Amino acid sequence: MAVTDSPRMAAARPAASRDRTGRSRRSRVRASRGTINVVLLLFSVLYLVPLLWMVLASFNAHASFKLNVPSPTTANFHHVLTYDTTFRPMLNGLLLCGGGTLVCVVCSILAAYPLSRFRSRLRRPFLYTILFTTGLPITAVMIPVYSMFVQVNLIDSMPATTLFLAASALPFGIWLMKNFMDGVPVVLEEAARIDGANSMQVLWRIVLPLMWPGVIVVTIFTFISMWGNFFVPFILLLSPEKLPASVSVFNFLSAHDQTQYGQLSAFSILYSIPVVMLYLILARRLGGGFALGGALKG
Amino acid sequence: MTSSVAPAAGRRGAGGGKAERTPLPASLAALLRGLPLLPAVVLLAVFLAGPIGYCIYYAFTDMQLTGASGTHFTGLHNFTRAFGDSDFTNAVELTLLFVVGSAVIGQNTLGLALAVLMEKASKPVRSLTSTVVISAWVLPEVVAGYLMYAFFYQEGSLNAILHFLHLPQQNWLYTLPILAVCLANVWRGTAFSMLVFSAALSDVPRELVEAAEVDGANAWQRLWRVTLPVIRRSILTNLMLITLQTLSVFGLIYTMTRGGPGNKTETLPIFMYQQAFQNSLIGYGTAIALVLLVVGALFSVVYIRLLKVEDA
Amino acid sequence: MRTRFTVATGIAVITTVLAATVSGCGSGSGSSGKTIKVVYQKQLNSSNTVQPDFLAAQVKEFEKANPGTTVKLVPVTASENDYYTKIQLMMRSPVTAPDLVYEDTATINSDVASGYLKPLDSYLSTWKDWSRYATASKAAMKYAKDGKTYGVPDNTDTRGIWYNKTLLKQAGIALPWQPKTWADVLAAANAIKAKVPGVTPLNVYTGTAGGEQSSMQGFEMLLYGTAAGGDSLYNAAQQKWVVGSPGFKDALNFLHTVYSQGLGPKVQTALGVNIGAQVGTEMIPQGKLAIDLDGSWMPNNWIRTGPKPWPQWETTMGEAAMPTQNGQDKGKVSMSGGWAWSIPAKAKNTDLAWKFLQSLETETASAQWNNVNATIPTRQDVAADPTYLKALPTNQFFSGLVADTYYRPGVPAYTQVSSAIQKAMESVTTGQASVDKAASTFDNDVKSAVGADNTMQGTQ
Repeated sequence: MAVTDSPRMAAARPAASRDRTGRSRRSRVRASRGTINVVLLLFSVLYLVPLLWMVLASFNAHASFKLNVPSPTTANFHHVLTYDTTFRPMLNGLLLCGGGTLVCVVCSILAAYPLSRFRSRLRRPFLYTILFTTGLPITAVMIPVYSMFVQVNLIDSMPATTLFLAASALPFGIWLMKNFMDGVPVVLEEAARIDGANSMQVLWRIVLPLMWPGVIVVTIFTFISMWGNFFVPFILLLSPEKLPASVSVFNFLSAHDQTQYGQLSAFSILYSIPVVMLYLILARRLGGGFALGGALKG
Repeated sequence: MTSSVAPAAGRRGAGGGKAERTPLPASLAALLRGLPLLPAVVLLAVFLAGPIGYCIYYAFTDMQLTGASGTHFTGLHNFTRAFGDSDFTNAVELTLLFVVGSAVIGQNTLGLALAVLMEKASKPVRSLTSTVVISAWVLPEVVAGYLMYAFFYQEGSLNAILHFLHLPQQNWLYTLPILAVCLANVWRGTAFSMLVFSAALSDVPRELVEAAEVDGANAWQRLWRVTLPVIRRSILTNLMLITLQTLSVFGLIYTMTRGGPGNKTETLPIFMYQQAFQNSLIGYGTAIALVLLVVGALFSVVYIRLLKVEDA
Repeated sequence: MRTRFTVATGIAVITTVLAATVSGCGSGSGSSGKTIKVVYQKQLNSSNTVQPDFLAAQVKEFEKANPGTTVKLVPVTASENDYYTKIQLMMRSPVTAPDLVYEDTATINSDVASGYLKPLDSYLSTWKDWSRYATASKAAMKYAKDGKTYGVPDNTDTRGIWYNKTLLKQAGIALPWQPKTWADVLAAANAIKAKVPGVTPLNVYTGTAGGEQSSMQGFEMLLYGTAAGGDSLYNAAQQKWVVGSPGFKDALNFLHTVYSQGLGPKVQTALGVNIGAQVGTEMIPQGKLAIDLDGSWMPNNWIRTGPKPWPQWETTMGEAAMPTQNGQDKGKVSMSGGWAWSIPAKAKNTDLAWKFLQSLETETASAQWNNVNATIPTRQDVAADPTYLKALPTNQFFSGLVADTYYRPGVPAYTQVSSAIQKAMESVTTGQASVDKAASTFDNDVKSAVGADNTMQGTQ
């Protein structure tokens, strides 16, 4: 999980002729590293407080917004760990968001390849258009989407909702993926092409293995945004038994006449587990560094 | 973003080489090369372009979800109404404040500061900081909103900390709600900028920094004169992305304040939601959404222009 | 060539997926000759299963009595606004329209205007029980423009004053307490402020976060008690919204007095999204609030199955009617809302839906429902039923208020006017705007929402 562990820190030190200044500098570096460590630690603690409150509240029989040590109980979890409240919505969520992420990532990879590798007059307008689309609040289009889904009889269909989720995440997905792909040198492909490989083979065998970090970043990003999306499934799915966890959590949280903060926190933790797991599993594949920035240099 | 234009010209040669082996008319070859785009284009066309087209139409009508039987074309009425509506101008101002405060200044600066400090910190501290910051980022938006509500609540953690430090306390959600939602967005979103900058910093040539150090530049000067100019493209691209993401933030603010108290945190997405779904004024609501789209496009154009200047 | 093959395979896969979803997976419609789909709002609080349980039992009985029929219950778990959005979208298309829908009496007219609902007159004319419904409740179901009835009201509520007897006694106020004018209310609040420290004297809901709770329990309970009475917000005879009336400013002034003189909850608390729950489950049970302008349903908080069981409420809490401004007219005022069953215009199986609706509204079913739901019956025979009256000690008092109650204007634009009211309340409560300024902002908001020609100058 550590970000870019740079070995250069310990890289070659100045030559002997500058030894004296070098030593004092080194001690200065050590002192400033100490300060930096303290600053970052304090910062992390402050950053951690809201998360800490959630964990404490979830085990607290009398949770309030106060940050206090609980009278410990697991009742909050017992209460929300039911089929209707947690398991079924979570499963639905995994189907919807997992499927949506898969479709989105595959389509993004396919689309990114020509966008990254071939020049066309249409390329730049296309890229700008999808880039601007990322700023559109998806709630705004839900009314026509509903009408459309009704007309083609797709309303209350989980596969169709999955496809819609995928489509709504595509603009950002394509944009990121294209930038990652730009970072893969073309030279390698040319060698493969001379050996007779076609575009798709080049993409799957040469380009993709070199841009796994990018694919993983897009996957995580897409999944996070879908997992938190409440409005799309709420509008497009009618049967209560098809609704994902995001709808339950939104209802849970927007019920302001709720004072069951303990249960709310317990449910929030359960609801966050899939995203955190996905991140932990995939981030490991990234090795030491989360190479997000690599693709974003423009 | 635009840097691949020149190399793409070179790649064309590679494509041409292929065309020699399977002789196809040039136009057909170009079409074939574009084929992998098809699934994405179909999905986008069916699920997004269509509805967005409808939205543009709705924005020029008086469509209501309830309360009226028909929908009539009303021309620019929704837009003139918006610009004469003090709540709308308030929403525009708050949106700009929110984007500039929480994204351009907050996430961007904090992300950069963290990345710079983490590069110099010892390894366990670095891992801890990144873990904490990233866990706030992977939390679902509404959960983050809920946690921030609890944090800024009058009896919440922030005031407890301030009390402990003997600092003055506030009812944050009431007295400074826009600051509270900005800080909440910084808390949730900084990880993205931090990751971008960490990666960018690792690509800054060590020799450059050391040369400056030898020349007697202090840490601040090194950052300002050497590091930042090297990573400026990352900064601009990051700014563009977080601006676009922040513009459409809805769940975070809605769970924290629902746009209140009064309309003190009513940014454009919240205002749109209230008009379209609380007041059922779909036409007016979609017109507001279009304005939001334009604001996003304007921001992007500025950033793209700046990036282009870089290219030249 | 292989490129083309791979690409073609890709396209084929995508097309198949799309086609599969298009052809097979839509299942929005659930109605056929013997099946009806019933949509209602399920409370966000997942432990509240009063309505689901009641309806499930009714369905079971109905299906037994009518073999071969199926009633499919479709609960929509959402906040009120999202529930409206969803049912309105559903009713737009015959594919998704339910056969029976649970409508808030406040939105029913709006939905009629959109053509979502079916007039029930032909059914009602042959249903003898319809005559047993309270006149005010029946009138609220009528759409002004065509005079037809679009819903069967299933429960209602009234609003009045809840007070803590112990605290009032401490302040030296004679019990039972029944204020005659607004001034009496303020005097009592002042007495409490002076003699019972640490207690909030009076709660009047206010502000935008509270939504309809602020408009109805807070503002309209005041406004409808001003001189213009039932015409103080909307003049039904002239079909115009009232702006610029002195009564409107008087009501805002009352609010201003409460919050500027420290008679109400702390402004920050009053404007918070949580105030409703705080009043019901914390401030009142903890004895921290003396007088509360609130609804008949308050005991729902305190009964054994409620969020804050508090058996002592029966002896601690007293009820009084909200007085009119100067004790004019009948001297008291109340506001009513409630829910109704309606049949969507695009429903497929209206006859069966009507049959099921009838079974929900028999005397027994209605009594049972209003008992478990702690609401006020709309059927007069149920309201007089001894078992109902005994179910909660406050039932008699609050169903007695039905005689002096007002319903909100049955006009679609009400929701927008209500938002404008909340905005005016909020700015007066915070002190951001003077009463005059807030009232003129309200006038402008109303004019821009409904059109200036649909408003009239109020003189009272």
